[in-house]
Amino acid sequence: MSNYITTVAVNIAVFSLLALSLNIIIGYAGQSMMGQAAFFGIGAYTAAILTNNGVNFWLALLVSLIVSGALGAIIGVISIRLRDDFLAITTIGINFVMVAIFQNVKFFGGSLGMAVKTPTIFGQRMTPVHFLILLLILIVLVCLLIRKMNNSWFGLALASLRGDEGAAQSFGVNVNQYKILAFIMGTAIAGLTGGIYAHRMTFIFSSSFAFVVSISILSMVVVGGVGTIRGPLVGAILLGAAPEVLRFADDYRMILYGSVIVLMMRFQPQGLLGENSFIMNKIEQYINPLLRRKGGESNA
Amino acid sequence: MREIVRIEGLKMYFGGLKAIDDLNMSVYEHETLGIIGPNGAGKTTLFNTICGVYKPTDGKIILNGQEVQGTPPYEMARKGIARTFQISKPLHDLTILDNVVAAAGIHEYTGISSFFKKSHTKEVLEKAQAIMELVGLSEIANKKAREVSLGYLRRLEIARVLATEPQLIMLDEPCAGLSNFAINEITELILKLKEQGKTIVLIEHNLPITMKVCDRIIVLSYGKKIAEGTPEEVQNDKKVIEAYLGEEDED
Amino acid sequence: MLLQQILNGIMIGSVYALTAMGATLIYGILRILDIANAGAYVAGAYFGWYIYIKTGNLVLAFLISMAATGLIGVLIHRSIYGPILSKPRILPIVPLVASVGLFTLTGDLARLIAGPGTKAYNVDFGVEVINIGRLTVVPAWILIIVLTALLFTVLWLVLNRTKLGLAWRATAEDADIAKAMGINTNNAMALSYILGYGFAAAAGIMVGILYNSITPALGEVPSYKMLSIIVLGGLGSPVGTVIAGLFIGLVETMLSAYDLTFIPKDSVAFIALILVLLIKPSGLISKSNKV
Repeated sequence: MSNYITTVAVNIAVFSLLALSLNIIIGYAGQSMMGQAAFFGIGAYTAAILTNNGVNFWLALLVSLIVSGALGAIIGVISIRLRDDFLAITTIGINFVMVAIFQNVKFFGGSLGMAVKTPTIFGQRMTPVHFLILLLILIVLVCLLIRKMNNSWFGLALASLRGDEGAAQSFGVNVNQYKILAFIMGTAIAGLTGGIYAHRMTFIFSSSFAFVVSISILSMVVVGGVGTIRGPLVGAILLGAAPEVLRFADDYRMILYGSVIVLMMRFQPQGLLGENSFIMNKIEQYINPLLRRKGGESNA
Repeated sequence: MREIVRIEGLKMYFGGLKAIDDLNMSVYEHETLGIIGPNGAGKTTLFNTICGVYKPTDGKIILNGQEVQGTPPYEMARKGIARTFQISKPLHDLTILDNVVAAAGIHEYTGISSFFKKSHTKEVLEKAQAIMELVGLSEIANKKAREVSLGYLRRLEIARVLATEPQLIMLDEPCAGLSNFAINEITELILKLKEQGKTIVLIEHNLPITMKVCDRIIVLSYGKKIAEGTPEEVQNDKKVIEAYLGEEDED
Repeated sequence: MLLQQILNGIMIGSVYALTAMGATLIYGILRILDIANAGAYVAGAYFGWYIYIKTGNLVLAFLISMAATGLIGVLIHRSIYGPILSKPRILPIVPLVASVGLFTLTGDLARLIAGPGTKAYNVDFGVEVINIGRLTVVPAWILIIVLTALLFTVLWLVLNRTKLGLAWRATAEDADIAKAMGINTNNAMALSYILGYGFAAAAGIMVGILYNSITPALGEVPSYKMLSIIVLGGLGSPVGTVIAGLFIGLVETMLSAYDLTFIPKDSVAFIALILVLLIKPSGLISKSNKV
């Protein structure tokens, strides 16, 4: 596999995980989280610092997962006190503050960034392909996790609190508890992804975790389809591959990006593959009759 | 009859506003109790206080002998108090079936462990279907709640209440905003529940319905109880008539 | 010296308040966070520059730039935000993401049309500095403070002494009831954009004059700082925005002056915000809480 394609694939895989993780918080739990990149960063720096100090790579990943989740719990607690607009801005603020810390505190390498040791697997240094495989495995696991969540009472609790907190309380959902849990899940996965990313890049800069990255992740979720598993994946592929595919139009990249976002929000806010979107409706229109014919009698 | 809820000296003040002012009342098992009063009397505030949405400024709410004032709403629900909302609160993105299933999960929302419990089991689905059948929602079970008319939404509120298998059902103006036809349907439903021996507390502005359905009525005005008794007693109570004087009856 | 720093802080704070005012006005009516307001800031700076270069007339630059940006704002509302908000039950982030898209577009359009380099206003005030007692005053500061005060006075007059302003305040209080009372809420919304984006445009020009340079990335820092300021001031409160803007301007200036650089200047607004929200979740000046 050519190095270039592997690099792009790793990039898309990283964003897929970030988008999936953010979707747990904003799509399923309905909370306005605009600082996901901060946790991507927290995971990255945590894992990097650990392995730079001799800790085993896999253990470091585990710790970065836990640390990110724990800090995410704090945001969860904050989300209880603040309405969505305030919460959105606070999470933006936290993103900025974290990046400022990464940039200015000597411990994190400051503006020069931080070097990260390449981990070994089965005795040899991990190659980009190894990382890609690791990420793909993680993507599958996360998708399975989210699917299990959706079929469980946990998922239904999130859907209820997203729909109406008062109603959810009236049938026994401890809204505060579930908000915090959703934040923990979302930020932990983002942190774990960060830990892997840091070791793939061998060098991390605070700018990789800035607010613009949070916006990218958010755009992928929203363009692909909020509250679905396919949505963030499609969003990550489209918006992650687009800069490469559109290299010829490099000059117009941001304009296209901005336009796509505005048009999507205006005409398809549920996302390309969100519920009741144009594409999903067309799919249902054409595939369902086919399925019915195959399956015999329909139970419409 | 066994006393399920006793309210002693309940005060609910919002700054200078005395929404509920030193209220004493009881709810007895199997009865249908009506709470009426002119606008602003404190009826919904009373519901909110009992259900834990508000923490009372003072006073006690005693459920089955246990003091529960200040308990958060999700815990009150688990203790067996279920309520509907004056302005319907459906879960818009979910189907009617899922709305009912969500409510049926009342004791399953146990935090992390709830992740491992499948929600749509055969048992739960059967229970939900039975409730929808009773309440008259079966035909629209698979429609999204946002696609459905107000009459159905009100029935959904009641279905969700039933799904929690409550000790006490609290209905906040279930007939508000409905056509006469729909009002009759809801009234029939309430009477059906009454037949089944359920304990019901009902806030309703529609006085004829209230008189028809309730065994006992408490009248509130400006946060105070001004009358209590059977529908006939209350109808003829001078204080009650005065409180409503100048108030247009909705029908 | 302290008085000098205070003056400096007030000057910067005025620009911040002016930049943020649009976002407050729009939030007041529509309840959305409009990051595109920072786009108006950038667009305004470039329009103003173009007109100033062509005509040499600063007044014209301000007027035309403010009017143009304001009208574009109304167009954006009619074609984008309005339709988005008319759909029932969208996630709250949808208009926010749309505004981010618009903001990104604006910056990049500026880069494409005007070029990625720095553009200079090169305004000649005649004197470098004016010394008033022990204070050193840069002429641009006078322009900024006076003009900002003027614009805010106009805002106050419009909101409190005109029918349209009354319509605005009614719509901000409760849009449904205002409409039911026959108030033209569309006009109130248009006012938010005309004044709001117009003010942002003016702020952009001021900054261009002050630092004698504008680049397409001009709006980056103001975009998020502005959000911080409007929340700090209590969303939807013009008075709160002014106070919060001045407050942040002063704090930033003090920190730089006394070399307390362990907190990066641009993070100050956010740190202040987080601290305030922890204590008072509704912001410094909260509107009446709707039950």
